Amino acid sequence: MHRDKHIRWLIAPALLLLAAGTLYPVIYAGYLSLLQWNWGSEAKFVGFRNFVRILSGTGFPKALFNTFYFAVFAVVIETLLGLGLALAINRIRIGAGLIRTLMILPLMVSGIAVSLIWKVMLDPTLGIVNYLLSLVGIVGPAWLGTVPTAMPSIIMIDTWWQTAFTFIILSSALKSLPTEPFEAARLEGATPFQTFRHVTLPMLKPVLITVIIFRTIDTLKVFDIIFGTTGGGPLRATESVQTLAYQTAFKSYKFGESAAIAVVFSLIILTLCIIYLMIDTDDGEKA
Amino acid sequence: MSASASFRRKLWPYAVAVVAVAVSVFPIFWILTIALKTRVDAFAMPPVWFFSPVWENFGKAWSATGFSGAFFNSLIVCALGNILALAAGIPAAYYLNKRHVPGRRTILIWLLISYMLPEFLFIVPMYVLFQSIGLYDTVIGLALIYQVFTLPFTIWLLRAFFADIPEALAEAARLEGAGTWRIVWTIYVPIAAPGIAATVILNSIKMWNELTIALALTFDKAQTVTLAVAGFRGYASIDWGAMSAASIIIILPMALFAILAQRRIVQGLSLGAVK
Repeated sequence: MHRDKHIRWLIAPALLLLAAGTLYPVIYAGYLSLLQWNWGSEAKFVGFRNFVRILSGTGFPKALFNTFYFAVFAVVIETLLGLGLALAINRIRIGAGLIRTLMILPLMVSGIAVSLIWKVMLDPTLGIVNYLLSLVGIVGPAWLGTVPTAMPSIIMIDTWWQTAFTFIILSSALKSLPTEPFEAARLEGATPFQTFRHVTLPMLKPVLITVIIFRTIDTLKVFDIIFGTTGGGPLRATESVQTLAYQTAFKSYKFGESAAIAVVFSLIILTLCIIYLMIDTDDGEKA
Repeated sequence: MSASASFRRKLWPYAVAVVAVAVSVFPIFWILTIALKTRVDAFAMPPVWFFSPVWENFGKAWSATGFSGAFFNSLIVCALGNILALAAGIPAAYYLNKRHVPGRRTILIWLLISYMLPEFLFIVPMYVLFQSIGLYDTVIGLALIYQVFTLPFTIWLLRAFFADIPEALAEAARLEGAGTWRIVWTIYVPIAAPGIAATVILNSIKMWNELTIALALTFDKAQTVTLAVAGFRGYASIDWGAMSAASIIIILPMALFAILAQRRIVQGLSLGAVK
């Protein structure tokens, strides 16, 4: 126990805000998920019927599949690309500050502006992307408008938007690594690839895992760039869990069902985070 | 190794950087040119690369129904949200920076979990609550609900900055009779000022750009700039100019942040993730 008794008052305002902002809604969402309640009408207790309905219907499983399809590809591409860029650009001495400033610009752009930018760029007939492709003889598709290309387009948009995040963090981590192991590797005549595989990568692993956890959580929660571009279409090909929860709550006004979607999804994210952290500590014990 | 091979070795990172910078900047540059084009030029195919800029699209975007009001709403939400986050976050970060305080571990895990929760888990309950207590469609309500992400982030980041401040400074002040409040405000806050700046910048970016919660918890009075820009989505087929100008207006303040405070942003982001 700390000797200064008043110190506990320091945490009080934060706890109050957190309790009101997260604890209360979590409990209330759990309660709502057991109700059949269309906003404006009488609520009825239905037990787990909302859960049965969303899990046995087609909408939620489809949205869950889409969300993971998006998240897996976006996280893998952004992590590898960010790592590659960090390794390359960390060798630069002159102009590094300017390069960094320009590279973090996409990260400053609101998801809704990102959506509008890419809607204009990817327009099938008047967009610059299909124009540039036509110069090399390729007829570009209606990127956001057809089922097979819509989700890959959203993944590409997210890659443009968020790769700077993985780049910045991995680049700072690389800079803070101790130099001795690299010296040792050089003296032993290790090739650049061997050095990367056996020196850089192991030392970078904790940060790499953190980056992957952050990006996984963020991509699973994807909403803005889907809402802003396809709205979940065409034919629900880009419907994510969060756009579905939005539709259910604020277009169909089924609050109970929307809460059930959010509860199941939160449990899935929580489980994933625990698994990630277990992998992290397992290796820590072995090393 | 030959001289030219060594030269190539030094040069390839620059080649990578040029491509990365071009890909990062081009879409923003392109939307800026469309915002500065006449309607005919914006829709021209092949695209027009050289044109004399017109400003009418910015006027059209700014005077669109509710746009300027939404812009100022967002400024107010950012200011209020930052004040709340710092007022609650600075003392909390000081508290959690101490090793043997009650509930430390639980609170830290709670902070992580609140970052993890999908927005719609708390949006629907908050919608019901805000409707019944009159906070629905108000900037105060929005600044309060934004604490769900700004407060954990603020505490997390400031704790990392506070951890670097030597305990001896606080001890010395305590011997001279300073209380905890005075130690926090006269020692920790000034020393961690760069960290606080980084926190405010990153929180502002997050709040300024936030769409999901604002979409559900505002209607018109407290509409934010992201919603005003979202209103231009339907323009995609008719008026690229105004839509692009609206996008540039929302991007500009944050792009200025990036240009003026790149170091702070990088420092804040990496410290938040690495520690």
